[in-house]
Amino acid sequence: MDIILEFINRLYTTFADPQKRVFLGYLIAAICISFFWLMIIKNKNIYESMKIIFDKKVFFSKSSFSDYSMLVINTLLLIFLSPILISQLAIANLIYELLHLQTIINPLRMEINYMWLLPFIFTFCYFVFDDFTKFITHTIMHKIPILWAIHKTHHSARTLTPITVFRTHPLEGIIFILRSAITQGIVIALFYYVYGNNISLVTILGANVFSFWFHLAGSNLRHSHIRISYWPWLEKIIISPAQHQVHHSTKKRHFNKNFGVTFAIWDRIFGSLKVSNQHEEIKFGICEKEEIYENNIIYLYISPFIEIYKIIKNFLQQNILKLR
Amino acid sequence: MNYLNISKVSFKKASLGSILACSLTFALSSSLYAAGHENGYGPFPVTVKGYSGSATNSVSYGGQIARHLLHNNLKKLASGGNPNDPTNAPMKKMIVNFSGKDAGRKILSPTSKDKFPIKQKMVDELSKKKNLSGKTYQGVMPAWPGNMTGVQVLNHMIKKAGKTSGGVDTRNGYNYPQLISKFAMGAVFYNQACDNYLDEKLNADTKPNNKPYKKGAAYTGKEHVWDEAFGYWGAAAHTMSLSAKDSYNVAKGKSLKAADHNKDGMVDLASEMTYAHAYYASSFDKGGKTNYLKTVTGAFIDGRKLITSANGNKLSESQIIQLKSYAGEICDNWEAVIAESVFKYAGSVYGDIEKIEKGMASGSSIDKALSNYIKHWGELKGFAMALQAGKENLGQTATKLNRMMGFGPLMPNLSQVVGVDSSGNFIKDQGSSFGYYKLHMIKIQKIMVEAFGVTARSKDKMSGMAALSKSLSTKTSAEND
Repeated sequence: MDIILEFINRLYTTFADPQKRVFLGYLIAAICISFFWLMIIKNKNIYESMKIIFDKKVFFSKSSFSDYSMLVINTLLLIFLSPILISQLAIANLIYELLHLQTIINPLRMEINYMWLLPFIFTFCYFVFDDFTKFITHTIMHKIPILWAIHKTHHSARTLTPITVFRTHPLEGIIFILRSAITQGIVIALFYYVYGNNISLVTILGANVFSFWFHLAGSNLRHSHIRISYWPWLEKIIISPAQHQVHHSTKKRHFNKNFGVTFAIWDRIFGSLKVSNQHEEIKFGICEKEEIYENNIIYLYISPFIEIYKIIKNFLQQNILKLR
Repeated sequence: MNYLNISKVSFKKASLGSILACSLTFALSSSLYAAGHENGYGPFPVTVKGYSGSATNSVSYGGQIARHLLHNNLKKLASGGNPNDPTNAPMKKMIVNFSGKDAGRKILSPTSKDKFPIKQKMVDELSKKKNLSGKTYQGVMPAWPGNMTGVQVLNHMIKKAGKTSGGVDTRNGYNYPQLISKFAMGAVFYNQACDNYLDEKLNADTKPNNKPYKKGAAYTGKEHVWDEAFGYWGAAAHTMSLSAKDSYNVAKGKSLKAADHNKDGMVDLASEMTYAHAYYASSFDKGGKTNYLKTVTGAFIDGRKLITSANGNKLSESQIIQLKSYAGEICDNWEAVIAESVFKYAGSVYGDIEKIEKGMASGSSIDKALSNYIKHWGELKGFAMALQAGKENLGQTATKLNRMMGFGPLMPNLSQVVGVDSSGNFIKDQGSSFGYYKLHMIKIQKIMVEAFGVTARSKDKMSGMAALSKSLSTKTSAEND
């Protein structure tokens, strides 16, 4: 009974908590932005816009149904997995303790007149560092074969909807949860060690103020068929929905591009940035040809394990042969 | 229009009935409320079989209150140390209160104030020929250098305090009034109550309930054993009718209204004052997270009621089991109060070091910060030693605690006391760093949480980080970027 209640609570929180990406308010904001884009920029009438935004072929596709199923199954799985994962507080405690053993970073020992700014500095630094670790994690998910085997589940989506963020293999879910815990642990420990109780998170409706505005500005459209692009100069700073859709493209020249979530600067620094092109047709998925099983829910959960097994087996065989 | 069809007469009758019913309910609830507030520690009737005296109340813990006052005196006198006094008078005065039994010892704290008049002026008015040394922990205290017993440690501290200006040794970092007071509270009160009266003396055949405690006494063996333990706890007899804040204000001499239960216009130190660990319990409880004071005092009252209900007969096996269960509750919570104090002062010491570091970095004076550091460290050390004077052998917990705290505080020149020579003089060596030492304070707080489950957590060094972490956390979900 407790598990059922927890399951319902988790599903409800997914859409009711402004800290969550698919919070209902953000989804409504995304719809509004889509209307604005289609009617003002693309000169569509309201009927056409509605037809495009709520396209049945997208929301009732096999791919989308797999996304919905994975949201439900993963929510259930995480009820059991979450308690055994290390928390950000445990990591923060460890780092905070370790900071006492060094002398390079020290607690603030003088009066500063920008004390009132500290919560904003902390909130912004956390937002930027969080974005950077997301970029790094996402990059290695593509570059390391074992991790790619897991991340492929997400890229196998043929249609993108905001729910596609939950088309994530549980193993990848664990990796992302740990990434988040480590990121938070590092930022919390560092700031707390230096500034003590003078720091806090600046929030709107309980969500990081920067995340709140990022999501309100249509972050959910990155996983959608609405190809909103920015001016090229802005796409070199912030990742537009269209840029992330390029990341999901089946075209070879789009592979390993635009790993960033919010900021495009990481992709610029590491040479993986690609600005969007409105004239270019994009098909979503891993490859052009659709596989029969690619939306089969059992296949989505099992195939990464099989692939990992094959990768390890090949690796061992090659190395054993070399040794012989 | 009379929709309900009620006549004027019926309405009057009904109104009168309602008023009477309300009045009766109010009177009944008022008396019940008053009865609830009478749930104090005593008076309890005399149950000794064949008692021929005139006493009507069997409660007696004057000796314990006398020791609380001797402890207060000792703390006060420890701050009067004078290295230039050739007669060594400060130390002698302390010894009179620690191990002397002579008449004529004045009560130095609390003393009468206009708004808080005290009934007694002399220790002997509470009980005669009492001292602290005879009731001090006899085991070895590894937290203090020199492999001394509890009594020897206090003697050593008293000797040092007498020869130290104001009782504060700024070279080695010892604040003797704090060290002596906090350790004595554990080594005498906590130890006597939990390792003696509420331990072996609760066995049915030890100080049995079917015999007077001593010939002619108005109380049985068990009644007096229980009363003595309650006396050491230090709560006012009417604690259950007070809030934690009231009890705290009583100890601080700030609320005559709360203290003066018998309304005679003065505070009777025998039953209306809050002392020692009961005071610390109130200080934590007023924060609202804990209820140590009433849990312990309530268990004492329940235990005493149980003994009284035996009506002077030997306690049955089930009654002894029940009594031991109350004793367990008392000592667990008592221990937690001391652990809360260790937790709090570890946090204070951490904060003081930060202030010293700031002062050193900016080149400003660190005198005040250093003075607070030494004071808080004395409290930390004293409470940590008190914790080790209980019934339980704390084993590894005590070892960790003592190692992390050290024999003395880490001084700004990074020196630290590491032992004593054969003459009892402190030996110093180079310590670690303030960073390490601060880390030790955090770990001490962790130990207090893990080993004793402290919940008030005053001066929690990690709470800010936990709150920050909470503000960032949300229910986990498997999401992609």
